[in-house]
Formats: sequence, C-alpha cells, structure tokens
Amino acid sequence: MLRWILVLWPSFLVAGIAEVVFFTVVNPQQLYLFGEAVEYSLIATYSIGFLAFWLVCAASSLLTLFLQQGPADVNAR
Amino acid sequence: MVEKTRSEKARVVPIKPVAPESDSLYEVRQKLHVRSVSGIFARWRWALVWITQLVFYGLPWLTWNDRQAVLFHLTERKFYIFGWVFWPQDVFYLAIILIISAYALFFFTAVAGRLWCGYACPQTVYTEMFMWIEEKIEGDHNKRRKLEEGPMNARRIGLRSAKYGAWGLLSLWTGFTFVAYFSPLEELLVAIATLSFGPWETFWILFYGAFTYIFAGLLREQVCKYMCPYARFQGVMFDPDTLVITYDEERGEPRGSRRKGADPRALGVGDCVDCGICVQVCPTGIDIRDGLQYECIGCAACIDACDQVMERMSYPPGLIRYSTENAVKKHWGSREILQHVARPRTLVYGGVLAAICIALVVGLANRTDLRMDILRDRAVLAREVGDGLIENVYRLQIMNMVEVPRTVRIGVSGLDGIRLANSEEVALPAAGTESVTVRVRAPRESGELGSNQIHFQLEVVGDASVRVREATTFLLTQ
Ligand code: SF4
Ligand code: SF4
Repeated sequence: MLRWILVLWPSFLVAGIAEVVFFTVVNPQQLYLFGEAVEYSLIATYSIGFLAFWLVCAASSLLTLFLQQGPADVNAR
Repeated sequence: MVEKTRSEKARVVPIKPVAPESDSLYEVRQKLHVRSVSGIFARWRWALVWITQLVFYGLPWLTWNDRQAVLFHLTERKFYIFGWVFWPQDVFYLAIILIISAYALFFFTAVAGRLWCGYACPQTVYTEMFMWIEEKIEGDHNKRRKLEEGPMNARRIGLRSAKYGAWGLLSLWTGFTFVAYFSPLEELLVAIATLSFGPWETFWILFYGAFTYIFAGLLREQVCKYMCPYARFQGVMFDPDTLVITYDEERGEPRGSRRKGADPRALGVGDCVDCGICVQVCPTGIDIRDGLQYECIGCAACIDACDQVMERMSYPPGLIRYSTENAVKKHWGSREILQHVARPRTLVYGGVLAAICIALVVGLANRTDLRMDILRDRAVLAREVGDGLIENVYRLQIMNMVEVPRTVRIGVSGLDGIRLANSEEVALPAAGTESVTVRVRAPRESGELGSNQIHFQLEVVGDASVRVREATTFLLTQ
C-alpha cells in the first residue's frame, strides 16, 4: 500500500503544479502535436496534459523507489 | 498499537522528523476504530465542517451578473470570481494568493501549531463527515470493532453495503461539485437531466469522487502520516512558545487507576487515571502522553475526552490542554502565554503576511481592466506610401476585462506628425478580446533612420479614466 502511495502521490502533487504552470503560460489552442494543431476539446487537452504529467512524474518516483533499495535487498535476489 | 520508536518521552518541542526507518515501508497499519467525542473542541471542529462545506458545496450555485459567481472556466480560459474576471495574464495574483496562503500557514503554525490540520484541512473535514456516517450506520467504536472481528454474515454485509453506499453518494456529490467549479453548473445540470455527460466530465467526477472516498473513507490518518508534506516540516515553525496539545506530565504522573473519590496524594499517584480514552479518541492512534509527536494533527479530541474524565473524577480540567513548552516548564498561566504570542518569529511572519495582503488589495484596486498586446507585422517592416510618409503595420490584441461591451479609441504618439491611417475606434465585446490591424504613418524626417520609440494609447470612449499606454518601435527607412 505504502509503495503505491509513494509512487502515485508525490507525482500527483508535482503533476498538479506542472499542469497549472504549463497551461497558464501555454494556450492549448496554440499547441502542435507531430506538426498538427491539437484539435481535441480544451477540457480533453487539459485532462490528457494532466494525466501525461502524472505518468511522467510517477515513472520518476518509481525509479527512485527502485534505486532506493539497499544492497541487502538486491543481493537477496 | 503501533510501536513507538521515540525515546525522548514527553519532550515537547522541537519535533524531529522520524528517521527514515527502512522498515517503515512495511509497517502494517492497524485499523483504527476511533471513539467519538463531544466537547468544546468537537463543536469547533463541527462548526468548521459546516462553514467550509457550505462554502464548497454552495458556491457553484450562486449567480452574479447573470452567470455563475465563482467559475474557473477552463474552456474560456477565464476565472470568474464574483465581480472579477481574471485572465491567464493575471497569474501574478494567483502567485500572490499562494504566497499569502503559505505565510498564513507559517503564522498560524508558529502561534498555535496545527490549527489548519485539526480544524480546516479537507482531509480532517471529510474524515469527520465519513466517520459520522460510519457511526450512524455501524454504531460506536466498540460495535464497529465487534463487527469487524465478527463473522461475515448477512448483518455485516448489509451494514457494510449501507455504509459504502452512503460514502459513495457523498463522494459522487463531492466530485460533481468539484467539476462544477471548472465547467458551468448549468450545463452539468442539463447533462444530468439528459444523462449526457461528456467523457472527461464523467472521468473527473468519478476521479475526484474516488479520491474523496479513498482519502476520507479508507486512508484517513495515513494521509497525514505518510502523504502530507506539511506534517513533515511543521516542526520548523514551532518554538518553545508555540501553543500545542500538551499532556501535563508533572500533574498526571505517576498514572494509575483508583476508585472515584480516593485521594490521589495518599495513593501516591498523579491525576491521570490511565483510562486510555485519550488514545481511543485520537484519529491518528497515538498516545499524547508520550509527548508531542509529528503524527498529532492537533485536533484536540484528546482534550475534550480527558476533560470529561477529569470532571467525572472531580479534578480540575486541563490535564491535556493547549499549552506551550515554556508555559509547562515555568508554570505560566494564560496571561503569560498570551504575552509570549508576540515574539520575533510571529512578528516577522505576521508582518510579511500583512504586507503581502496589503499589496494584493492595492494591486486589485489599481488593476486596469483594459489590456493591449502589440505585435509588429513581420511581413511588412516599413514601406513608403507617398508624400514622404512611411507606414508600419501592427496587430493590436485588445482585452476588455469587464463584463460590459466597450468601445475604445486608439491613439499613437512619439513622432512629429505620426497618425493612424485607418479607423481609430474599436468595439470590444463584454469580457472578450478583439484583434485589430492598424497602419501607422509618419513623415520620413520626423525621426532617425532605423527604429524610433512610439506609444499606442487606448482610451475607453465615454470614460477617460480608463487608459492604457504601451511602447513599441516604428521603423523609418530611406
Ligand atoms: S484521558 Fe486523561 S486520564 Fe484518561 S488516560 Fe488519557 S490523560 Fe489519563
Ligand atoms: S494526540 Fe490529541 S490532538 Fe493529537 S491527533 Fe491525537 S487526539 Fe488529536
């Protein structure tokens, strides 16, 4: 349980901040994806943006957790 | 009970963050069956539940200027807060409000510890509401423990489903309210009536609802213990004059049971009857008699509980109370405690807080509700148009930030004989933007070759008090 929290929660907080800062500065109507203007509805763009930030941050948390294992944990395998 | 690793028993401040024990990752959580409590601080907590939730659930239903009073309209990229309309350009105010919140937190923490956590934090407030539902359906803490330990029979399944169902409804309503802050409530109500929510609205209602359910129903004190960053650094703001929930060890120890009416002095015991009720009511499951711990959210439930015990024993209340490290050590009364509220730390936090609040008010009062961005036309830098005149072309993006349509007059100045070549008046929609292309002409000899500074002015027709002036450059060529 706690492992899940450690991966999902800090990444959620950071993704929230990143989302606010990013979309305050960038107007999603001016975004380009693979050379084409983004044409999802705005609410979809914001949502996908948030989930993407969350995913990236969670990957980082996961890696932190993975590397944090002590030598004993690794040798035990 | 969870094993305590603290050795410094009953030391009040400073709180040290617990050393990262490698095995804390595997700590098995004991499910808490928190005993409910009544008393003055419980009433305060409930008052704050009512105030914060009336505001939260109620605000989206208010209207103002024929629209939702408070709406962070994502698709329009505009924030409506009563009479104000904020645009992404106003991010400065958002930053100020965040700084104010941070300093308010510092200030209140330095004065009286975790007031925020104990009374106003959504985690506390929703947990309180969820526990109320739990108690109404499953009974008090003893009945709940029995139910939990008992067999899986029809009664248990029935009670549990009723509880989960009630939690679920409250969560859904919370999720719906949350989304109504970002997407107009009227549209959402239509969507409910016709069962036609957009996919993302549905997603966010369920997401926020699930969030509420998991945090307030299942995780509870674990959020405060393992997830809250503030709980980890609050100790930094504490000092020996900070009011915190304190067990008066000198008065209470040695603890021990006794018959009612027995003289504790004769028995050689302190005032604590070791009934353990303070532990049973604690939502984080700690024993405040071990001293202040970072898990303590300052909810004061143990104060209410112990005061009732003291009353029954005919002892004076306050064996557990709001006090400071210095007050306990030096036997101060409330007068001395109050005198120590004003001290360098609180004065600095309070001073900064007041200064930023004033800056915000002044900033809002002087905020111009008209804005202009100037872009030079990149294709045509400068061209000759005859009569010795040079023309430059600009795009003006004009934002009308109030909710009435207005007409503005564009003016230009900075060079002798400079003027606009096209119409000077632009009609702006209510709370909207208009882009206009303007051609500006100036005589070739009016300035130096190359770029010259000029200014555009905007003036609202019929209201000369609203003016904006922005600088740009004008290119003079041969
Ligand atoms: S409630 Fe008061 S008397 Fe009872 S154990 Fe706690 S401190 Fe002692
Ligand atoms: S120790 Fe007392 S004030 Fe602290 S969390 Fe427990 S009941 Fe609340």
